[in-house]
Amino acid sequence: MANKFDISIRAEQEYAVLETEGYLNDALGEQLSQKAQDLIEKGYTQLVINLANTALINSIGISILIEIIEALDEREGTLNFCGLSATQERTFRMMAIAKYAGIFPDEKTAVADFQ
Amino acid sequence: MPTSSAEETIQRLIFSLSELEQLGQTLISGHSNFNVSSKTYLRITLGTLQVTRGAILCYHPTDNYLTVAASAPDIDSTPIDIEPEEVTSFLDCSHIEIDTPPEGLHSFINRNADLINGAAMHRLWVPLKIHDEFLGILGLGEFLGREKLEEWEQELLTILAHQISIAIAYSQIVEGIQSEKFRLFMLAESAPQICQLLQPEDAAEQVLHQAVALLDANMGCLMLVRPQQQILELLDAFPKSIISDNGENIQSISLKEIMGLPESEEKTALNMLGSVVEEGRTNRCSANLDDVFGGRNLMVGPIQGRDGDILGVLVVGDKEERGGRTLEFTEEDEMLLDSFAKQAGVAIENAHLHQEALEARELQSEMEEARKIQENLIPDTLPEIPGYEVAGYYEPRGPVGGDYFDCIELPHGGWGLSIADVSGKGMQAALLMATLRAGLLSEISSSRGREDSESIDMNDELINMAMTLNSLLYVSGTEEKYATFFYSHLNPETDILTSLNGGHNPPLIVRKDGNIQWLGQEIGGLPLGMFPNEMVPTIAEYQAEQITLESGDVVVYYTDGVTETVNVDDDFYDDDRLESDAISCANNDATSICDFIHKSVIDFQGDADQFDDLTLLVLRKK
Repeated sequence: MANKFDISIRAEQEYAVLETEGYLNDALGEQLSQKAQDLIEKGYTQLVINLANTALINSIGISILIEIIEALDEREGTLNFCGLSATQERTFRMMAIAKYAGIFPDEKTAVADFQ
Repeated sequence: MPTSSAEETIQRLIFSLSELEQLGQTLISGHSNFNVSSKTYLRITLGTLQVTRGAILCYHPTDNYLTVAASAPDIDSTPIDIEPEEVTSFLDCSHIEIDTPPEGLHSFINRNADLINGAAMHRLWVPLKIHDEFLGILGLGEFLGREKLEEWEQELLTILAHQISIAIAYSQIVEGIQSEKFRLFMLAESAPQICQLLQPEDAAEQVLHQAVALLDANMGCLMLVRPQQQILELLDAFPKSIISDNGENIQSISLKEIMGLPESEEKTALNMLGSVVEEGRTNRCSANLDDVFGGRNLMVGPIQGRDGDILGVLVVGDKEERGGRTLEFTEEDEMLLDSFAKQAGVAIENAHLHQEALEARELQSEMEEARKIQENLIPDTLPEIPGYEVAGYYEPRGPVGGDYFDCIELPHGGWGLSIADVSGKGMQAALLMATLRAGLLSEISSSRGREDSESIDMNDELINMAMTLNSLLYVSGTEEKYATFFYSHLNPETDILTSLNGGHNPPLIVRKDGNIQWLGQEIGGLPLGMFPNEMVPTIAEYQAEQITLESGDVVVYYTDGVTETVNVDDDFYDDDRLESDAISCANNDATSICDFIHKSVIDFQGDADQFDDLTLLVLRKK
């Protein structure tokens, strides 16, 4: 059952931004995890995940986001989220994701946090 | 086979203790996700035991398969199916030598020969378990400098495998708690969120999306019961491709065809939908690919209104598991959908009530505007006609109905008296009335209505005018929009009254001697705007009628709001009462006649509610 989704990456020198589009479920989550893992393997320790175009996240999507936080934490890296809806932000705080990752309104402030 | 020296053994034991401590640190570090920590566990295990190849495979009990969590070197990560009896065989062993497996695992090893003999090259498998719960397999191969593990190494392996098992179990428990926490939060969060949505379409989309995410589904549909049409109508689908893929099959499903179907062993989507609508209980099935929605393992929940009526159904399907497999919904899922569907019912009902309130407010506002338009079209005063008295009365009652009357001095001589009742209510009726009045003014200001030449036949003039107005109203309105219309041309010099009836109530004439006549009763034509001009001659042509008025004669024009006024006993005021009242006051002036009939109608109605305007126009020859 096709669900339109996509991930775009903008890798800068010091950080990389992953932007998701569509339902963050297992399919999109696995892609996101793989792309984040690839960036971590390349030495990126500062990542931004922009969820502005992802209105829906299920429990598997959440577990994959936690996995990325842990993978970065192993390398003493930082993950910042941006573009969250009010509900998503409340969910992230309730799930303690906000304890281990930054939450910012937009990409600019999320990136500025690295400097 | 070389044996380790005592010193080497002690050094490795010290190293092992240090690595075991690291394992413990990994476990309590907060890295609960085994997908992340599994590589560390494998690295420590291989380093401690001096093994060059290995893998940790995690077992998924819901669908009986294993996935590779970590491996060295990397091996194919395609899920590996495992039969329940093979799980039992693993649980019966402390470890399995690949070359000499127990009977129960021959088939498993044969099925995975490519994996074992390929990149993995495993020699030894250790079941990962806690008590009788199978959690996975730790596979090892290529023992550095020796053919197999020494006895103390095997004991160390048992400890390491146990540590890994604890880590997997811990990770599963934490994931389970996180998942349940997420779902409960979503459930609590979604209620106020969806209940705030005021547009029915927005509410439907949010309800559907939340249900899909809440249940880890990959597809869903929201269908509403349309009791009048006896159908389940598709309101929204996720993803939208369901609609294009399944087309007419799901746009509208007949309730008659899905309700009361006999119970069958294999549930289909249709008999599930039927039973949910009938019984109001959530239902699920582990169907294969369903031909109605195109999803697997569907679950259907009833959306109920406050009074328990089934408003619709929520369908979810394709429940996913990490790794991309489709799962069956569980009893807990069923309870979750049930709870969510209850909230959805309130949300959808709220949105519909809000929509209805908005429409009512808009309608009221439109009615007020229409009323203003209509009242502006009714003349405040009527002109004085030499030798005649004329009086009119208009009372709006209930929704705007579109009554109209007028008395106009014609530019080429004579007077035009008109009364009309436009069908329908509200702005459309008011605009149609305005169109009729504008058309009428245009007609009587042109050559129509002239009688300054003997060559002009007034009957033809009025018929032509009626045809023009009919055409104008026909193109201005819809089939349901038309106007009953009565028009009289009065020549006060000759006292000739030429009249044309377009489907209106025939005016009443009370002659000076008390005789009664219904004007235009024999010449009733069609209401204006009901049919196109070309059809009019085939149904009922417009005709005109001429009478001569004498001193004391009274003509009472009225709309059906007069004769169809009802009293508390549901009796109509009717033509007979109008006739009787008109006779009893015919010797008075026109204004008094108007007032008398109006008062009589009001007295008749008493406390009964009225919904149609009351309009009177009285002409009396002095």
